[in-house]
Amino acid sequence: MIIESSDQVPRATLLKRFPIPRNFGVSPESRIKRGKTWPVLAGATRVQTFEIYRYDPDSGENPRLDTFQVDLDDCGPMVLDALFWIKNKVDSTLTFRRSCREGVCGSCSMNIDGVNWLACTRFISDLATPATIYPLANMEIIKDLVPDLTHLFAQYSAIEPWLKSKTPAPEQERLQSHEERSKLDGYYECILCFCCTSGCPSHWWNGDRFLGPAVLLQAWRWLADNRDEGAGERLDNLEDPFRLYRCHTILNCTRTCPKGLNPGKAIAEIKKAVIERRS
Amino acid sequence: MRSPLARAIGLGSAREGVRHWWAERISAVALLPLTLWFAASIIAHTGSDYTTFVAWLRTPLVATLMILLLIALFHHTALGLQVVIEDYIHSGGKFAAVIAVRLGCFALAIAGFVATLRIAFSS
Amino acid sequence: MSIHTAKRSRPLSPNVQIYRPQLTSVLSILNRITGVALSGAAVALVIWLLMAAAGPQAYDVVQGAVASWIGQVMLFGTTFAFFLHLCGGIRHLVWDTVHGLELRSIYISGWVVVAASIALTLAAWVISFLMKG
Repeated sequence: MIIESSDQVPRATLLKRFPIPRNFGVSPESRIKRGKTWPVLAGATRVQTFEIYRYDPDSGENPRLDTFQVDLDDCGPMVLDALFWIKNKVDSTLTFRRSCREGVCGSCSMNIDGVNWLACTRFISDLATPATIYPLANMEIIKDLVPDLTHLFAQYSAIEPWLKSKTPAPEQERLQSHEERSKLDGYYECILCFCCTSGCPSHWWNGDRFLGPAVLLQAWRWLADNRDEGAGERLDNLEDPFRLYRCHTILNCTRTCPKGLNPGKAIAEIKKAVIERRS
Repeated sequence: MRSPLARAIGLGSAREGVRHWWAERISAVALLPLTLWFAASIIAHTGSDYTTFVAWLRTPLVATLMILLLIALFHHTALGLQVVIEDYIHSGGKFAAVIAVRLGCFALAIAGFVATLRIAFSS
Repeated sequence: MSIHTAKRSRPLSPNVQIYRPQLTSVLSILNRITGVALSGAAVALVIWLLMAAAGPQAYDVVQGAVASWIGQVMLFGTTFAFFLHLCGGIRHLVWDTVHGLELRSIYISGWVVVAASIALTLAAWVISFLMKG
Protein backbone atom coordinates (compact mmCIF):
# COMPACT_ATOMS: atom_id res chain seq x y z
CA MET A 1 0.00 0.00 0.00
CA ILE A 2 2.72 2.45 1.03
CA ILE A 3 5.66 2.33 -1.39
CA GLU A 4 8.92 3.32 0.29
CA SER A 5 11.28 2.92 -2.66
CA SER A 6 10.81 2.49 -6.39
CA ASP A 7 12.19 -1.06 -6.48
CA GLN A 8 9.15 -2.31 -4.56
CA VAL A 9 7.16 -4.44 -6.97
CA PRO A 10 3.42 -3.80 -6.75
CA ARG A 11 1.62 -6.85 -5.37
CA ALA A 12 -1.96 -5.75 -5.96
CA THR A 13 -3.59 -7.51 -8.87
CA LEU A 14 -6.85 -5.57 -8.82
CA LEU A 15 -6.03 -3.27 -11.73
CA LYS A 16 -3.16 -4.34 -13.95
CA ARG A 17 -4.11 -2.06 -16.83
CA PHE A 18 -6.68 0.70 -17.29
CA PRO A 19 -10.00 -0.89 -18.32
CA ILE A 20 -9.83 0.12 -21.97
CA PRO A 21 -9.65 -2.07 -25.10
CA ARG A 22 -6.20 -3.50 -25.77
CA ASN A 23 -5.76 -1.63 -29.06
CA PHE A 24 -7.59 1.53 -27.97
CA GLY A 25 -6.69 4.59 -30.04
CA VAL A 26 -3.80 2.74 -31.65
CA SER A 27 -2.83 3.48 -35.26
CA PRO A 28 -3.23 0.61 -37.74
CA GLU A 29 0.47 -0.19 -38.02
CA SER A 30 0.82 -0.38 -34.22
CA ARG A 31 -2.03 -2.80 -33.50
CA ILE A 32 -0.73 -5.88 -31.72
CA LYS A 33 -1.99 -9.29 -32.75
CA ARG A 34 -1.67 -12.71 -31.11
CA GLY A 35 1.67 -14.32 -31.97
CA LYS A 36 3.36 -17.70 -31.69
CA THR A 37 3.28 -19.85 -28.58
CA TRP A 38 6.74 -21.38 -28.45
CA PRO A 39 6.95 -24.96 -27.06
CA VAL A 40 8.35 -25.81 -23.63
CA LEU A 41 11.78 -27.45 -23.83
CA ALA A 42 12.06 -31.08 -22.68
CA GLY A 43 12.90 -31.72 -19.04
CA ALA A 44 11.70 -28.36 -17.73
CA THR A 45 10.05 -28.63 -14.32
CA ARG A 46 9.90 -25.06 -12.94
CA VAL A 47 8.62 -22.87 -15.75
CA GLN A 48 7.75 -19.16 -16.02
CA THR A 49 5.54 -17.94 -18.87
CA PHE A 50 6.54 -14.73 -20.66
CA GLU A 51 4.40 -12.81 -23.15
CA ILE A 52 6.82 -10.73 -25.17
CA TYR A 53 6.13 -7.96 -27.72
CA ARG A 54 7.69 -8.80 -31.08
CA TYR A 55 8.05 -6.67 -34.19
CA ASP A 56 9.95 -7.57 -37.34
CA PRO A 57 10.42 -4.54 -39.63
CA ASP A 58 11.36 -6.78 -42.59
CA SER A 59 8.23 -8.92 -42.47
CA GLY A 60 5.78 -6.09 -43.19
CA GLU A 61 3.49 -7.47 -40.50
CA ASN A 62 2.05 -5.82 -37.42
CA PRO A 63 3.63 -6.30 -34.01
CA ARG A 64 2.58 -9.45 -32.18
CA LEU A 65 2.69 -10.97 -28.68
CA ASP A 66 4.71 -14.23 -28.49
CA THR A 67 4.44 -16.63 -25.54
CA PHE A 68 7.57 -18.31 -24.20
CA GLN A 69 8.05 -20.82 -21.36
CA VAL A 70 11.39 -20.34 -19.62
CA ASP A 71 13.02 -23.20 -17.66
CA LEU A 72 13.88 -21.45 -14.38
CA ASP A 73 16.38 -24.15 -13.33
CA ASP A 74 18.42 -23.45 -16.46
CA CYS A 75 18.28 -19.67 -16.25
CA GLY A 76 19.67 -16.87 -14.06
CA PRO A 77 17.44 -14.95 -11.64
CA MET A 78 16.90 -11.72 -13.60
CA VAL A 79 14.54 -10.91 -16.48
CA LEU A 80 17.57 -10.17 -18.68
CA ASP A 81 18.80 -13.72 -18.00
CA ALA A 82 15.40 -15.01 -19.19
CA LEU A 83 15.64 -12.92 -22.38
CA PHE A 84 19.12 -14.35 -23.06
CA TRP A 85 17.85 -17.87 -22.32
CA ILE A 86 15.05 -17.42 -24.87
CA LYS A 87 17.47 -15.99 -27.44
CA ASN A 88 19.98 -18.82 -26.94
CA LYS A 89 17.65 -21.80 -26.58
CA VAL A 90 14.35 -20.96 -28.29
CA ASP A 91 14.26 -18.01 -30.71
CA SER A 92 17.52 -16.39 -31.72
CA THR A 93 15.73 -13.52 -33.49
CA LEU A 94 14.59 -11.99 -30.15
CA THR A 95 16.21 -8.54 -30.16
CA PHE A 96 16.90 -6.30 -27.16
CA ARG A 97 19.50 -3.79 -25.99
CA ARG A 98 21.84 -4.77 -23.15
CA SER A 99 25.34 -4.08 -21.88
CA CYS A 100 26.43 -3.99 -18.24
CA ARG A 101 23.90 -6.49 -16.76
CA GLU A 102 24.18 -4.69 -13.43
CA GLY A 103 21.84 -1.70 -13.65
CA VAL A 104 24.33 1.06 -14.47
CA CYS A 105 24.24 1.51 -18.24
CA GLY A 106 20.51 1.97 -18.88
CA SER A 107 20.45 -0.13 -22.08
CA CYS A 108 17.90 -2.81 -21.10
CA SER A 109 15.08 -0.46 -20.02
CA MET A 110 11.69 -1.91 -20.98
CA ASN A 111 8.15 -2.29 -19.72
CA ILE A 112 7.93 -5.36 -17.45
CA ASP A 113 4.52 -6.31 -16.03
CA GLY A 114 3.20 -2.86 -16.89
CA VAL A 115 5.97 -0.88 -15.23
CA ASN A 116 9.12 0.56 -16.83
CA TRP A 117 12.30 -0.90 -15.30
CA LEU A 118 15.71 -2.35 -16.22
CA ALA A 119 15.55 -6.02 -17.22
CA CYS A 120 18.86 -6.76 -15.49
CA THR A 121 17.68 -5.62 -12.04
CA ARG A 122 14.17 -7.13 -12.06
CA PHE A 123 13.92 -10.57 -10.42
CA ILE A 124 11.89 -13.21 -12.30
CA SER A 125 10.45 -14.28 -8.94
CA ASP A 126 8.78 -10.84 -8.64
CA LEU A 127 6.84 -11.27 -11.86
CA ALA A 128 3.19 -12.15 -12.42
CA THR A 129 2.06 -15.24 -14.32
CA PRO A 130 2.17 -14.78 -17.22
CA ALA A 131 4.78 -12.02 -17.18
CA THR A 132 4.32 -9.40 -19.88
CA ILE A 133 7.29 -7.70 -21.50
CA TYR A 134 6.73 -4.72 -23.75
CA PRO A 135 9.22 -2.16 -25.02
CA LEU A 136 9.38 1.23 -23.28
CA ALA A 137 5.92 2.80 -23.54
CA ASN A 138 5.06 5.22 -26.34
CA MET A 139 8.27 4.78 -28.32
CA GLU A 140 8.79 4.18 -32.05
CA ILE A 141 9.97 0.58 -32.26
CA ILE A 142 12.91 -0.36 -34.47
CA LYS A 143 12.64 -4.11 -33.77
CA ASP A 144 11.21 -6.28 -30.97
CA LEU A 145 12.13 -4.56 -27.67
CA VAL A 146 14.43 -1.90 -29.20
CA PRO A 147 12.95 1.63 -29.17
CA ASP A 148 14.16 4.62 -31.20
CA LEU A 149 15.58 7.03 -28.61
CA THR A 150 16.70 9.68 -31.13
CA HIS A 151 14.08 12.27 -30.14
CA LEU A 152 14.73 11.79 -26.41
CA PHE A 153 18.47 12.31 -26.84
CA ALA A 154 17.75 15.33 -29.07
CA GLN A 155 15.64 16.80 -26.25
CA TYR A 156 18.58 16.12 -23.91
CA SER A 157 21.01 18.00 -26.15
CA ALA A 158 18.50 20.85 -26.43
CA ILE A 159 18.98 21.71 -22.73
CA GLU A 160 22.73 22.13 -23.33
CA PRO A 161 24.00 19.68 -20.68
CA TRP A 162 27.48 21.15 -20.24
CA LEU A 163 29.17 23.66 -17.97
CA LYS A 164 28.53 27.24 -19.11
CA SER A 165 31.07 29.72 -17.87
CA LYS A 166 32.02 33.26 -18.81
CA THR A 167 34.67 33.52 -16.07
CA PRO A 168 37.98 32.29 -17.49
CA ALA A 169 38.85 28.76 -16.40
CA PRO A 170 41.00 28.64 -13.26
CA GLU A 171 44.52 27.18 -13.46
CA GLN A 172 43.50 24.06 -11.58
CA GLU A 173 40.04 22.76 -10.63
CA ARG A 174 36.91 24.84 -10.24
CA LEU A 175 36.57 24.40 -6.49
CA GLN A 176 33.40 23.06 -4.91
CA SER A 177 32.69 22.58 -1.20
CA HIS A 178 31.21 19.36 0.16
CA GLU A 179 27.88 21.11 0.63
CA GLU A 180 27.86 22.45 -2.94
CA ARG A 181 28.75 19.00 -4.29
CA SER A 182 25.99 17.39 -2.26
CA LYS A 183 23.45 19.52 -4.16
CA LEU A 184 24.13 17.31 -7.19
CA ASP A 185 23.36 14.09 -5.29
CA GLY A 186 20.26 12.42 -6.65
CA TYR A 187 20.66 14.13 -10.03
CA TYR A 188 24.09 13.28 -11.43
CA GLU A 189 23.45 9.52 -11.06
CA CYS A 190 20.90 9.43 -13.91
CA ILE A 191 21.83 6.75 -16.45
CA LEU A 192 19.48 8.12 -19.16
CA CYS A 193 17.52 4.87 -19.37
CA PHE A 194 14.36 6.96 -20.04
CA CYS A 195 12.09 4.72 -17.95
CA CYS A 196 10.66 7.88 -16.37
CA THR A 197 10.03 9.80 -19.60
CA SER A 198 8.49 6.76 -21.23
CA GLY A 199 6.17 6.33 -18.23
CA CYS A 200 4.96 9.94 -18.14
CA PRO A 201 1.39 10.33 -19.51
CA SER A 202 2.09 13.99 -20.27
CA HIS A 203 5.02 12.94 -22.43
CA TRP A 204 2.77 10.38 -24.14
CA TRP A 205 0.37 13.11 -25.25
CA ASN A 206 2.87 15.95 -25.79
CA GLY A 207 6.24 14.25 -26.17
CA ASP A 208 7.22 16.30 -29.20
CA ARG A 209 7.30 19.52 -27.14
CA PHE A 210 7.35 18.48 -23.46
CA LEU A 211 10.94 17.70 -22.42
CA GLY A 212 10.00 14.92 -19.99
CA PRO A 213 11.35 14.00 -16.54
CA ALA A 214 14.75 12.60 -17.57
CA VAL A 215 15.75 15.72 -19.50
CA LEU A 216 14.31 18.07 -16.87
CA LEU A 217 16.17 16.20 -14.12
CA GLN A 218 19.39 16.80 -16.03
CA ALA A 219 18.39 20.45 -16.57
CA TRP A 220 18.11 20.78 -12.78
CA ARG A 221 21.47 19.01 -12.36
CA TRP A 222 23.08 21.88 -14.27
CA LEU A 223 21.00 24.58 -12.56
CA ALA A 224 21.99 23.20 -9.15
CA ASP A 225 25.71 23.13 -10.00
CA ASN A 226 27.40 26.12 -8.35
CA ARG A 227 30.17 26.09 -10.98
CA ASP A 228 27.69 26.75 -13.81
CA GLU A 229 27.17 30.41 -14.81
CA GLY A 230 24.33 29.93 -17.28
CA ALA A 231 21.35 29.61 -14.92
CA GLY A 232 19.61 32.64 -16.41
CA GLU A 233 19.65 31.42 -19.98
CA ARG A 234 18.88 27.85 -18.87
CA LEU A 235 15.72 29.04 -17.08
CA ASP A 236 14.80 31.23 -20.06
CA ASN A 237 14.97 28.16 -22.28
CA LEU A 238 12.96 26.01 -19.87
CA GLU A 239 10.19 28.49 -19.05
CA ASP A 240 7.70 27.45 -21.71
CA PRO A 241 4.10 26.22 -21.44
CA PHE A 242 5.13 22.97 -23.10
CA ARG A 243 8.83 22.35 -22.36
CA LEU A 244 8.39 22.63 -18.59
CA TYR A 245 4.78 23.29 -17.74
CA ARG A 246 3.26 20.18 -19.29
CA CYS A 247 4.42 18.57 -16.05
CA HIS A 248 1.31 18.23 -13.90
CA THR A 249 3.11 16.41 -11.08
CA ILE A 250 1.67 13.04 -12.03
CA LEU A 251 4.79 11.47 -10.39
CA ASN A 252 4.86 8.24 -12.40
CA CYS A 253 8.51 9.17 -12.97
CA THR A 254 9.57 9.04 -9.32
CA ARG A 255 7.60 5.80 -8.89
CA THR A 256 9.39 4.07 -11.76
CA CYS A 257 13.04 5.24 -11.62
CA PRO A 258 15.23 2.11 -11.49
CA LYS A 259 18.03 4.12 -9.82
CA GLY A 260 15.72 5.50 -7.11
CA LEU A 261 16.08 9.10 -8.34
CA ASN A 262 13.38 11.75 -8.02
CA PRO A 263 12.63 13.60 -11.26
CA GLY A 264 9.38 14.95 -9.81
CA LYS A 265 11.34 16.74 -7.12
CA ALA A 266 13.85 18.12 -9.64
CA ILE A 267 11.02 19.55 -11.73
CA ALA A 268 9.43 21.09 -8.62
CA GLU A 269 12.78 22.75 -7.89
CA ILE A 270 12.93 24.16 -11.43
CA LYS A 271 9.40 25.57 -11.11
CA LYS A 272 10.37 27.08 -7.77
CA ALA A 273 13.46 28.70 -9.31
CA VAL A 274 11.34 30.15 -12.13
CA ILE A 275 8.98 31.74 -9.61
CA GLU A 276 11.74 32.94 -7.32
CA ARG A 277 13.58 34.83 -10.01
CA ARG A 278 10.54 36.97 -10.77
CA SER A 279 9.62 37.85 -7.17
CA MET B 1 13.47 16.56 -43.22
CA ARG B 2 14.36 18.22 -39.92
CA SER B 3 17.26 17.10 -37.80
CA PRO B 4 16.31 15.50 -34.47
CA LEU B 5 17.68 18.56 -32.64
CA ALA B 6 15.59 20.94 -34.77
CA ARG B 7 12.53 18.84 -34.02
CA ALA B 8 13.28 18.91 -30.28
CA ILE B 9 13.91 22.69 -30.23
CA GLY B 10 10.77 23.36 -32.29
CA LEU B 11 9.95 27.08 -32.36
CA GLY B 12 12.14 27.78 -29.34
CA SER B 13 11.18 28.56 -25.79
CA ALA B 14 8.24 30.92 -25.26
CA ARG B 15 10.13 32.34 -22.25
CA GLU B 16 6.77 32.67 -20.58
CA GLY B 17 4.47 30.25 -18.83
CA VAL B 18 4.93 30.86 -15.16
CA ARG B 19 2.18 33.49 -15.14
CA HIS B 20 -0.46 30.90 -15.95
CA TRP B 21 0.99 28.45 -13.40
CA TRP B 22 1.17 31.09 -10.65
CA ALA B 23 -2.36 32.39 -11.31
CA GLU B 24 -3.69 28.83 -11.06
CA ARG B 25 -2.01 28.49 -7.63
CA ILE B 26 -3.18 31.90 -6.38
CA SER B 27 -6.78 31.19 -7.42
CA ALA B 28 -6.51 27.75 -5.78
CA VAL B 29 -5.35 29.28 -2.49
CA ALA B 30 -8.21 31.79 -2.69
CA LEU B 31 -10.68 29.00 -3.43
CA LEU B 32 -9.71 26.98 -0.36
CA PRO B 33 -11.51 29.16 2.21
CA LEU B 34 -14.15 30.45 -0.22
CA THR B 35 -15.40 27.05 -1.36
CA LEU B 36 -15.35 25.65 2.16
CA TRP B 37 -17.37 28.66 3.32
CA PHE B 38 -19.81 28.14 0.44
CA ALA B 39 -20.18 24.41 1.10
CA ALA B 40 -20.70 25.00 4.82
CA SER B 41 -23.30 27.69 4.09
CA ILE B 42 -25.22 25.47 1.69
CA ILE B 43 -25.24 22.62 4.23
CA ALA B 44 -26.36 25.01 6.98
CA HIS B 45 -29.19 26.26 4.76
CA THR B 46 -30.54 22.79 3.86
CA GLY B 47 -34.30 22.93 3.88
CA SER B 48 -34.55 26.68 4.37
CA ASP B 49 -37.07 28.55 2.21
CA TYR B 50 -36.62 31.29 -0.39
CA THR B 51 -36.95 34.30 1.91
CA THR B 52 -34.41 33.00 4.44
CA PHE B 53 -31.96 32.20 1.67
CA VAL B 54 -32.33 35.58 -0.03
CA ALA B 55 -32.06 37.44 3.29
CA TRP B 56 -28.78 35.63 3.90
CA LEU B 57 -27.44 36.37 0.43
CA ARG B 58 -28.47 40.02 0.73
CA THR B 59 -26.08 40.81 3.60
CA PRO B 60 -23.01 42.77 2.35
CA LEU B 61 -20.54 40.22 3.72
CA VAL B 62 -22.17 37.26 2.01
CA ALA B 63 -22.62 39.15 -1.25
CA THR B 64 -18.92 40.10 -1.21
CA LEU B 65 -17.82 36.54 -0.47
CA MET B 66 -20.07 35.22 -3.22
CA ILE B 67 -18.55 37.63 -5.75
CA LEU B 68 -15.02 36.73 -4.62
CA LEU B 69 -15.94 33.07 -4.97
CA LEU B 70 -17.18 33.62 -8.52
CA ILE B 71 -14.02 35.52 -9.51
CA ALA B 72 -11.65 32.90 -8.08
CA LEU B 73 -13.76 29.99 -9.31
CA PHE B 74 -14.05 31.10 -12.92
CA HIS B 75 -10.42 32.23 -13.11
CA HIS B 76 -9.29 28.82 -11.81
CA THR B 77 -11.75 27.02 -14.10
CA ALA B 78 -10.59 28.93 -17.19
CA LEU B 79 -6.92 28.23 -16.43
CA GLY B 80 -7.52 24.55 -15.64
CA LEU B 81 -9.65 23.89 -18.71
CA GLN B 82 -7.11 25.69 -20.91
CA VAL B 83 -4.42 23.27 -19.72
CA VAL B 84 -6.69 20.27 -20.36
CA ILE B 85 -7.47 21.48 -23.90
CA GLU B 86 -3.80 22.16 -24.68
CA ASP B 87 -2.91 18.67 -23.44
CA TYR B 88 -5.33 16.75 -25.63
CA ILE B 89 -6.13 18.87 -28.69
CA HIS B 90 -3.21 19.57 -30.99
CA SER B 91 -4.93 20.72 -34.17
CA GLY B 92 -5.96 24.32 -34.92
CA GLY B 93 -9.24 23.66 -33.13
CA LYS B 94 -7.24 24.04 -29.92
CA PHE B 95 -7.24 27.83 -30.26
CA ALA B 96 -10.99 27.98 -30.90
CA ALA B 97 -11.63 25.77 -27.86
CA VAL B 98 -9.38 27.85 -25.57
CA ILE B 99 -11.00 31.10 -26.72
CA ALA B 100 -14.47 29.63 -26.21
CA VAL B 101 -13.59 28.45 -22.70
CA ARG B 102 -12.01 31.76 -21.65
CA LEU B 103 -14.86 33.90 -22.99
CA GLY B 104 -17.45 31.48 -21.62
CA CYS B 105 -15.95 31.59 -18.12
CA PHE B 106 -15.82 35.40 -18.25
CA ALA B 107 -19.45 35.59 -19.35
CA LEU B 108 -20.58 33.15 -16.66
CA ALA B 109 -18.71 35.09 -13.99
CA ILE B 110 -20.40 38.33 -15.06
CA ALA B 111 -23.77 36.58 -15.06
CA GLY B 112 -23.07 35.40 -11.53
CA PHE B 113 -22.15 38.95 -10.42
CA VAL B 114 -25.33 40.37 -11.93
CA ALA B 115 -27.45 37.74 -10.18
CA THR B 116 -25.74 38.28 -6.81
CA LEU B 117 -25.90 42.08 -7.04
CA ARG B 118 -29.53 41.95 -8.11
CA ILE B 119 -30.39 39.97 -4.99
CA ALA B 120 -28.15 42.14 -2.82
CA PHE B 121 -29.67 45.44 -3.97
CA SER B 122 -33.29 44.37 -4.34
CA SER B 123 -35.82 45.43 -1.71
CA MET C 1 10.23 10.66 -50.85
CA SER C 2 10.64 8.47 -53.96
CA ILE C 3 8.79 5.18 -54.34
CA HIS C 4 12.07 3.39 -53.74
CA THR C 5 12.46 4.75 -50.22
CA ALA C 6 8.82 4.55 -49.16
CA LYS C 7 8.37 2.12 -46.29
CA ARG C 8 5.98 1.48 -43.43
CA SER C 9 6.25 3.89 -40.56
CA ARG C 10 7.46 2.31 -37.34
CA PRO C 11 4.85 1.11 -34.86
CA LEU C 12 4.42 2.91 -31.57
CA SER C 13 4.72 0.76 -28.45
CA PRO C 14 1.53 0.70 -26.34
CA ASN C 15 1.30 3.28 -23.56
CA VAL C 16 -1.95 3.70 -21.62
CA GLN C 17 -3.13 0.34 -23.01
CA ILE C 18 -0.56 -1.64 -21.00
CA TYR C 19 0.98 0.68 -18.39
CA ARG C 20 0.08 -0.32 -14.85
CA PRO C 21 -2.29 2.09 -13.08
CA GLN C 22 -0.51 3.29 -9.94
CA LEU C 23 -1.61 5.54 -7.08
CA THR C 24 0.39 8.35 -8.70
CA SER C 25 -1.28 8.25 -12.11
CA VAL C 26 -4.75 7.27 -10.87
CA LEU C 27 -5.04 10.11 -8.35
CA SER C 28 -3.68 12.54 -10.92
CA ILE C 29 -6.25 11.62 -13.57
CA LEU C 30 -9.00 11.69 -10.92
CA ASN C 31 -7.91 15.21 -9.98
CA ARG C 32 -8.31 16.19 -13.62
CA ILE C 33 -11.66 14.41 -14.09
CA THR C 34 -13.09 15.96 -10.90
CA GLY C 35 -11.78 19.35 -12.03
CA VAL C 36 -13.58 19.13 -15.35
CA ALA C 37 -16.73 17.87 -13.60
CA LEU C 38 -16.58 20.79 -11.17
CA SER C 39 -16.46 23.26 -14.06
CA GLY C 40 -19.88 21.86 -14.94
CA ALA C 41 -20.88 22.45 -11.33
CA ALA C 42 -19.66 26.05 -11.65
CA VAL C 43 -22.05 26.56 -14.57
CA ALA C 44 -24.83 25.04 -12.45
CA LEU C 45 -23.94 27.46 -9.63
CA VAL C 46 -24.42 30.46 -11.92
CA ILE C 47 -27.72 29.09 -13.21
CA TRP C 48 -28.84 28.61 -9.61
CA LEU C 49 -27.91 32.22 -8.70
CA LEU C 50 -29.70 33.56 -11.78
CA MET C 51 -32.83 31.63 -10.87
CA ALA C 52 -32.64 32.90 -7.30
CA ALA C 53 -32.36 36.45 -8.63
CA ALA C 54 -35.33 35.90 -10.93
CA GLY C 55 -37.76 35.38 -8.07
CA PRO C 56 -39.36 32.72 -5.84
CA GLN C 57 -41.12 30.86 -8.67
CA ALA C 58 -37.94 30.40 -10.69
CA TYR C 59 -36.06 29.43 -7.50
CA ASP C 60 -38.65 26.75 -6.74
CA VAL C 61 -38.10 25.20 -10.18
CA VAL C 62 -34.39 24.86 -9.47
CA GLN C 63 -34.90 23.59 -5.95
CA GLY C 64 -37.37 21.03 -7.29
CA ALA C 65 -34.80 19.80 -9.79
CA VAL C 66 -32.17 19.52 -7.07
CA ALA C 67 -34.57 17.68 -4.77
CA SER C 68 -35.38 15.04 -7.41
CA TRP C 69 -33.53 11.75 -7.13
CA ILE C 70 -31.38 12.54 -10.19
CA GLY C 71 -30.58 15.91 -8.67
CA GLN C 72 -29.60 14.32 -5.36
CA VAL C 73 -27.38 11.75 -7.10
CA MET C 74 -25.67 14.52 -9.07
CA LEU C 75 -25.32 16.61 -5.91
CA PHE C 76 -23.71 13.66 -4.11
CA GLY C 77 -21.35 13.15 -7.04
CA THR C 78 -20.54 16.85 -7.06
CA THR C 79 -19.74 16.89 -3.33
CA PHE C 80 -17.45 13.87 -3.70
CA ALA C 81 -15.76 15.43 -6.75
CA PHE C 82 -15.39 18.70 -4.82
CA PHE C 83 -13.73 17.12 -1.79
CA LEU C 84 -11.48 14.90 -3.92
CA HIS C 85 -10.34 17.90 -5.98
CA LEU C 86 -9.95 20.00 -2.82
CA CYS C 87 -7.77 17.45 -0.99
CA GLY C 88 -5.87 16.63 -4.20
CA GLY C 89 -5.38 20.35 -4.78
CA ILE C 90 -3.94 20.86 -1.30
CA ARG C 91 -1.56 17.94 -2.00
CA HIS C 92 -0.47 19.70 -5.21
CA LEU C 93 0.04 23.01 -3.40
CA VAL C 94 2.27 21.25 -0.85
CA TRP C 95 4.30 19.68 -3.69
CA ASP C 96 4.75 23.12 -5.25
CA THR C 97 6.67 24.16 -2.12
CA VAL C 98 9.02 21.18 -2.85
CA HIS C 99 7.86 19.22 0.21
CA GLY C 100 6.49 15.71 0.46
CA LEU C 101 7.98 14.54 -2.85
CA GLU C 102 9.67 11.41 -1.46
CA LEU C 103 7.93 8.18 -2.51
CA ARG C 104 6.84 7.34 1.01
CA SER C 105 5.24 10.77 1.50
CA ILE C 106 3.64 10.62 -1.95
CA TYR C 107 1.92 7.35 -1.11
CA ILE C 108 0.88 8.31 2.42
CA SER C 109 -0.54 11.66 1.28
CA GLY C 110 -2.28 9.89 -1.60
CA TRP C 111 -4.15 7.52 0.68
CA VAL C 112 -4.92 10.40 3.08
CA VAL C 113 -6.53 12.28 0.18
CA VAL C 114 -8.71 9.29 -0.71
CA ALA C 115 -9.75 8.68 2.91
CA ALA C 116 -10.34 12.38 3.66
CA SER C 117 -12.49 12.89 0.55
CA ILE C 118 -14.74 9.96 1.43
CA ALA C 119 -14.95 11.04 5.07
CA LEU C 120 -15.71 14.68 4.23
CA THR C 121 -18.37 13.72 1.68
CA LEU C 122 -20.13 11.44 4.14
CA ALA C 123 -19.81 14.05 6.93
CA ALA C 124 -21.28 16.75 4.69
CA TRP C 125 -24.26 14.64 3.75
CA VAL C 126 -24.91 13.40 7.29
CA ILE C 127 -24.78 16.94 8.68
CA SER C 128 -27.05 18.16 5.88
CA PHE C 129 -29.49 15.34 6.63
CA LEU C 130 -29.49 16.27 10.32
CA MET C 131 -30.01 19.97 9.49
CA LYS C 132 -33.07 19.11 7.46
CA GLY C 133 -34.67 17.01 10.16
